[in-house]
Formats: sequence, C-alpha cells, structure tokens
Amino acid sequence: MTIATVKVHFDETAVHIAVAGEIDLANAAVVEDEIFAAVDNRATRVVVDLTDLRYVDSSGLRILFILAGRLETLQMAMEVVAPPGSPIRRLAQVSGLHSFIELSP
Amino acid sequence: MPVDDPATTERLHRIEAVTDTALAHLKVEDLLVELLDRVRELLGVDTAAVLLLDESGQQLVATATRGLEEEIHQGTRIPLGKGFAGRIAAEGTPVIIDRVDHNTVLNPILREKGVRSLLGVPLLAGGAVMGVLHVGTLSDRRFDDEDANLLQRVADRIALAVRSRAFEVERAAASVLQRSLLPATLPLLPGLELAARYVPTEGVGGDWYDLFTLPSGWLCVVIGDVVGHGLRAAVVMGRLRSALRAYALQGGDPAAVLARLDRKVQHFEPGSMATVLFAKFDPRFERLQVSSAGHLAPVFAWPGEPAELVDLPVDPPLGVKAGLRRHTTIVDVPPGGLLCFYTDGLVERRGRTLDEGLRRLCESVTAGPADSVSTTVMSRLIGSQPPDDDVALLTLRRRADTEVAALDLVLPAAPDSLRQIRRAVGRWLSATDATQDEIADLQLAIGEACSNVVEHAYGPRGGAVTVRMTLDPPDVLVTVHDSGSWRPPRGHNRGRGTLVMQRCCDELRVEHGLAGTVVFIRRRLSGAAP
Repeated sequence: MTIATVKVHFDETAVHIAVAGEIDLANAAVVEDEIFAAVDNRATRVVVDLTDLRYVDSSGLRILFILAGRLETLQMAMEVVAPPGSPIRRLAQVSGLHSFIELSP
Repeated sequence: MPVDDPATTERLHRIEAVTDTALAHLKVEDLLVELLDRVRELLGVDTAAVLLLDESGQQLVATATRGLEEEIHQGTRIPLGKGFAGRIAAEGTPVIIDRVDHNTVLNPILREKGVRSLLGVPLLAGGAVMGVLHVGTLSDRRFDDEDANLLQRVADRIALAVRSRAFEVERAAASVLQRSLLPATLPLLPGLELAARYVPTEGVGGDWYDLFTLPSGWLCVVIGDVVGHGLRAAVVMGRLRSALRAYALQGGDPAAVLARLDRKVQHFEPGSMATVLFAKFDPRFERLQVSSAGHLAPVFAWPGEPAELVDLPVDPPLGVKAGLRRHTTIVDVPPGGLLCFYTDGLVERRGRTLDEGLRRLCESVTAGPADSVSTTVMSRLIGSQPPDDDVALLTLRRRADTEVAALDLVLPAAPDSLRQIRRAVGRWLSATDATQDEIADLQLAIGEACSNVVEHAYGPRGGAVTVRMTLDPPDVLVTVHDSGSWRPPRGHNRGRGTLVMQRCCDELRVEHGLAGTVVFIRRRLSGAAP
C-alpha cells in the first residue's frame, strides 16, 4: 500500500497542509479527501507543502488541479511549496502545473 | 451356503463387477462401501466391515463398514493379535464366532449393536495380511466352512482392488507432493542467471532441488536424491528440504549444515538414505562453498575453457553413518562462469557407463546462457529416450560484470502494484549508470503507463500488467503491456499522464492492438557509454 501523511496547521490567514510520503493511484483518493477536508470556508489562503513528498504522479497532480479550480471559485489564494530538485517540482515542470499555480520557493 | 450354486456364482460376479472400470473414480473407502453392500446381500448378513493394517503394521483401522458406521466415526483401532479381528490378522486364518460375548470380542461397538454371530477372514495381498473382512448377524447363526470359503473369495477380490487402488492413489499423491516441493519459480537475482529442468519418471522418485536466499544475502543451492520411490521417498524428501532450509538459516559452512541434517536423518528417519549436494554462493556470486553427501560433483565451465567436474571430496550420503567428518570445498567463480548441478538420472542410462555419461555432460556444457545450456544438456543426454530415473538439472551462471539482465515484472493490474513496480524500477536502474534524475523520470513515466493499465485496460475481473526493461547502452528500453483494451479516460482533470510520460523520456509510443496495448519508452542515459 502506498502511504502518504497529511498534516494540517492553521495560522491567522492561512491553512498549511504538508503532505509527505508517496502518492499514486493506490492512495490518491484518500489523500484528496484528507486535503479537501482540511480547508474550511473561512480560510483566505491555502499553502500546500510538498517538500517531503518522495513520489507523486499524475494522480497526485490531478488533486492539485482540482484543488486549484475549487479554491479559485471560493476566492482563496493557493501556494504550493515545491523546492527545486523535489519530485513535485519536476512533475510541475513537465505537466504545466507551474504556469497555473504559484510554486515556491 | 453352497459355493457353486448358480445364484451364488451370479452374486460373486457382481462383486467382481464392482472392481471394474465403471467404479474406477471412487475413493478406496467408497469402493469398499459399495463392495460391502454386495457382500451383505451375497451372504445374507447384517453387518460387514473392512479393517486395514496401518503404516506400523501393528494396528487395524476400521476403513469401511455397513451396519457398524460407529466404528468409522469413532476411529476404531484394534491391536494386532487382540480380539476377534486382531486374531484373524495375526494368524492369517478365518475365525468364526457363534456367540458374541466379553471373552470373544473386545470391540464394545459390536456388542452394543447386538451382533450375535461373526465370521471374519484375512485380506491377503501377495501372501501378506493387509487387513480383515468380517461379517455379522443380529440373530444367531452358525457360519460354516462354506461361508468362510465364499467370504475368503470375496476378500481376495477386495484385497486386489484395494491394493491397486491404493497404489494409484499413492502414486498420484507422491507426484503432487513432489511437484509441490520444487520451487514454483526461480528467484530473480541481479547478476545471476538461473535455469532448471525437472523430469519425473513413472514411479516417482525422490529427486529434488531447492534455491533460496538467506537474510545475509547468500544464495543456497540444493540438489538431492532420496533413495527409494513413491510416496515414502517424496515425504522424506519434503522433510529433508524443510530441515535443510532451517539448518541453513542457522548459518555455518555447507559441511556443518549437512552434518546437522545427517544427524536429523539418523535420528528421525532411520533407514532412509539420501545423497545431497549443498552449496552457498556469496552475495556477489564470486565464490561458491560446496559440500557433497554422496552426490555427483557439479560441472563447471569458465569462459573460453572446456567444462570439467568440480574437484571435491565426496563424503558419504546422509543416513549412513553417524558422526562423520564432512568437507567444504571453495570454488572461485569468474564473471561469466557457469555451474551445473544434477541428479544421477541425467548421466546414468542403461547401456552407458557413468563415466561415459559424465564425459558427455562435460562436452555439452559451455559458459553460455543458462537456459540454452540447459536445453543443450537435456537434448544431448536425454534426447528422445525417456529417462530411466528422475532427472533434475539446475544451471547457474554468474553474469559478466558489464551485463545488466533484463527486468521482467508481471503483476496484477491493481493500484497496490504501482509501488512495487516503482521500487523494482528504482533498484534495477541503480545497477546502471542512471542518475538520480533519470531514475526519477523513468519511475514517473513507467508509473504513468502502469496507472493507465490499472485504470483503463481491464473490466472488473482485472488482469496483469507486464513491465520489461532492458539496457541497450546508452538507452534504457521499456515496454509496459497489458492484454486488455484501453477506454478513454473519464472525468475531468484526466489525461495528463501521457503528457508526463512524453516529457520524461526521449521516445514514447503507444500501440493499441487486438491483443492489448503496448507502451514503448526509450530514455537515453547521460552517463552511459554508447
């Protein structure tokens, strides 16, 4: 079984969601539920920290695209933490996610 | 009852009819029940029972009854020589009891059922007693010599039927057991090629081979031959195989492991004898430790040199003599070197001496690919003549350092397989010159291709996804295939997998065919020499 952990904390303006481990078809639905459940409608900004994600494929990418679409409707800002050299950074580059969602640092 | 009146003869024929092919599918117990019904009719009795001697030859076990079903349900056992049935078996002669009581019959079931008179005869096969057939009545009856003669004739037929049926059943069981004890698949080990051939003969012998790795990474190779045939040999072989695995896990050189196994055989399998060759390969397959307990020496072939028998002291077989000193020989295996382990059935043929067989084997072995060497050996030594004895052949070849073997994976097309595939791809690539980025890209591209198979190729019954990777310097070539048909992706935010795949490799081709879909992926490795 592919395993990912989703940790959430809040500060005054943002929901911080840190995802570590691996995401593929086996656990994408579970991870999606956990991430979506973490965001309540009072937040103004969502930060998804994927620094410690060791593997992610298009099933993980799909979560980010859906999340970005929903947050846009809800008028919430979204930021994805994807350090250079991380698997998600590479995937963002090859899939065009980087032109759609703000990547930091 | 006169033996030769026409009605009796007719009924006797009915007994014979039971033993013919129409009932060949019945188990021994069911066949006996069928026979006992006809015996009851033939002799006009109320109860009939067959008791067979067990393995030890010391106890009679109720195997089939009519009118005395409790005997079966309660697992009735009668010691040889004791009571009514015990006496018949011990003396091998008929016994008649006119009046059942405490003094004549031990078995309480017979008394409780109200059996009054009994007649019993031995079941004889080849002059030896194999059991007892007895009949009884609930009213008083004087069985006479003619009854005894008739019952004995029936008993002879039953004995024959039981023996031939038991023989068939035993052979089928031995064959299934023997097959189940051989490795279903050979381990996939980077750096080592393996091939096995196994040809059992009619009688089912006790040949076996085994291959397993230890937690330390050492590979253990076993080939052996239990003396004898049939179920007993197969059972002993199964025990030796498990015990050898356990002793190997304890560690020590092959001589020490075989010494422990020998002690076990002497104590728990007295009277058994087996030849065993046990070898341990270090994790890099550079060096082999080997010890032989009466087994033929392996053949080795180093690149560019003629094959020879490994020069090693052959210690006595297991089960022969306690407390022997056993020897371990060390063989350095060069890159590309090949070794053949085999049982005597390969080299011993009628009309050919052992030395001729061994010479022919050495002439057939080369330091080539393990599988094709095995094919050549089987063809040259066995040819079209069915072998006289079981044949087992195990071929191992250390790959030359420059070769990286192809990776072949076949897994269920299910989400849980994706992680396994990723790990295997990573491990395989780390044996090449691939950089971390190249490994990550290929894991992603192959992961996407496999996800497509999982999501789109099959219906609810599922299927398999096959991944094959080969190194064709400077390129890595990958095929991912399935035997289903892809449907278009459903839902929104889908279909990015193909884009990801394209960007993570140098060439991507997807071929949808009638037999399934094949995804070809080619990726150049920056560090690899062309």
